[in-house]
Amino acid sequence: MAQFKNMIYGFEEFGFIVRDLLLGIKTIKYNWDETLTEMYLIGSKALPLVLLGGLFAGVILAIETGHQLKLFGATSLISRTVSLGMVRELGPVVTGLLLAARTGAKNSSEIGAMKLSDQIDALTAFGFNPVHKLVLPRTVAALIMFLPLTLIADITGILGGMLIAKQTFQIEIAWFWDTAINALKMKDLFVGFAKPFFFAFFISTISCYFGLKTKGGTTGLGKNTINAVVYSSIVILILDFIFTKIVWEVL
Amino acid sequence: MIELKNISLSFREKVILKDVSFRIEDTLTTVIVGPSGAGKSSILKIIAGLWKPDSGEIFFNGINVYHMSESEYQTMRKKIGIVFQSNALFDSLSVTENILYFLPERKSLTVSELNEKAERLLNFVNMDGTGDLYPEELSGGMKKRIAIARALAFNPDLILFDEPTTGLDPLNSASIIELIEKLKENGTTSVVVSHILNDVVELGEQIIVINDGLVVESGSIEKIMTSDEPFVNKFFYQLSKHNYIMKSNYNMYELINV
Ligand SMILES: Nc1ncnc2c1ncn2[C@@H]1O[C@H](COP(=O)(O)OP(=O)(O)OP(=O)(O)O)[C@@H](O)[C@H]1O
Ligand SMILES: [Mg+2]
Repeated sequence: MAQFKNMIYGFEEFGFIVRDLLLGIKTIKYNWDETLTEMYLIGSKALPLVLLGGLFAGVILAIETGHQLKLFGATSLISRTVSLGMVRELGPVVTGLLLAARTGAKNSSEIGAMKLSDQIDALTAFGFNPVHKLVLPRTVAALIMFLPLTLIADITGILGGMLIAKQTFQIEIAWFWDTAINALKMKDLFVGFAKPFFFAFFISTISCYFGLKTKGGTTGLGKNTINAVVYSSIVILILDFIFTKIVWEVL
Repeated sequence: MIELKNISLSFREKVILKDVSFRIEDTLTTVIVGPSGAGKSSILKIIAGLWKPDSGEIFFNGINVYHMSESEYQTMRKKIGIVFQSNALFDSLSVTENILYFLPERKSLTVSELNEKAERLLNFVNMDGTGDLYPEELSGGMKKRIAIARALAFNPDLILFDEPTTGLDPLNSASIIELIEKLKENGTTSVVVSHILNDVVELGEQIIVINDGLVVESGSIEKIMTSDEPFVNKFFYQLSKHNYIMKSNYNMYELINV
């Protein structure tokens, strides 16, 4: 019962943060420096992860589907499977999960440490809204950076799949690339490119929320950092499901 | 002048302040004393406008601020400086940046005017030449002084100090007390939270004793020392027990009727 109550309080507090964020959207122009720093950090630190994540997702996708398709003599379908799979699902989800871990842990622990040492209260005392000063730049940075990172994951994934297709299933590279790209319809691109924006928004608001409500010293900080990563990851998987389902049924 | 009337505060189910009322006069240095967890820091955060009490009224120079909107409160806040118990220096910023970063007039001043301002403040707190250091490179006493310089940058009418001498050696404590006295000469009113007897004796012109979310006694040091409140007696007896060097004009053992 107490837990249920806490959960309701939690949703309420999260709602307040999101409301503050949306109401303060204009203040971003005073916080471009912070936003650019965050963009740089997300981009530079996450790029190697995303390259690796995308590459291996594509490679595995090609190996697994390739062997199944071979049973039907349909290895030529690998390119379609890999490109649709990467662009619609694995690219956004793998990038989302990697960024939930990286950006989520960073936001939550940084803001949590600030909270524990009264820096958040100090911001307020100096006349700044912590949501505008800390959450907004991080969210905008994520919104801007997640799509290019997802695109990079998509492309490295398709390239990884292409290598496997050539190596294991003797498929021509040029042909693979052409069919992979041609298989993508507007709808697929829409799904694949819309997801990162939702993921970015929720990863950054959820992790900042856990940072802002940190209490209970270093143990609390650790706990909330874990919560930030866990909840962001779960939300990504749920959002991904909702997206896929709705898009298949509506569009 | 600040007046708190029947302030209560709780976090979810936990009651922190039950019914707190007191006045802070402009010219007097006020010291708030009380045991750990009594609600002292919470009172400062309410005065600074960081937390909103559940009920009660707060008056600044006769204006009731309880019902003010956030933006009206912003103007009020600029008149109040706060030095947090944990200093709350921004650890990603250098000392100079900590002092200047949040100034409202930052945009309208030139770089050299800003640097001059920072140097003047650092000089005031005896921290010349430390502008380029980062908080992690400073000792506890140094951090405290930077936190004071940062609060002063806003030219506040009132400064709130949360345990400014806790954890500092006697010499550093003395220099912080000197700073607070120097501020008084410049016309800044200070409210100091402390549970160090020396601070109470040296600074306190008006003393407010808090226990368990309530004001148990308030007034001059003489009034506190001769109080009939059992809690006040016990608390000050414990505070003075290990203080061998007393200020000459106050003999605690005589004043406290144990
Ligand atoms: N953000 C918060 N959420 C919930 N409870 C809190 C919060 N901040 C403080 N408290 C509780 O309120 C009570 C009063 O805390 P406060 O920090 O005001 O005490 P204090 O008198 O300053 O103590 P100390 O001398 O140890 O600094 C404590 O029991 C504390 O646990
Ligand atoms: Mg305290």
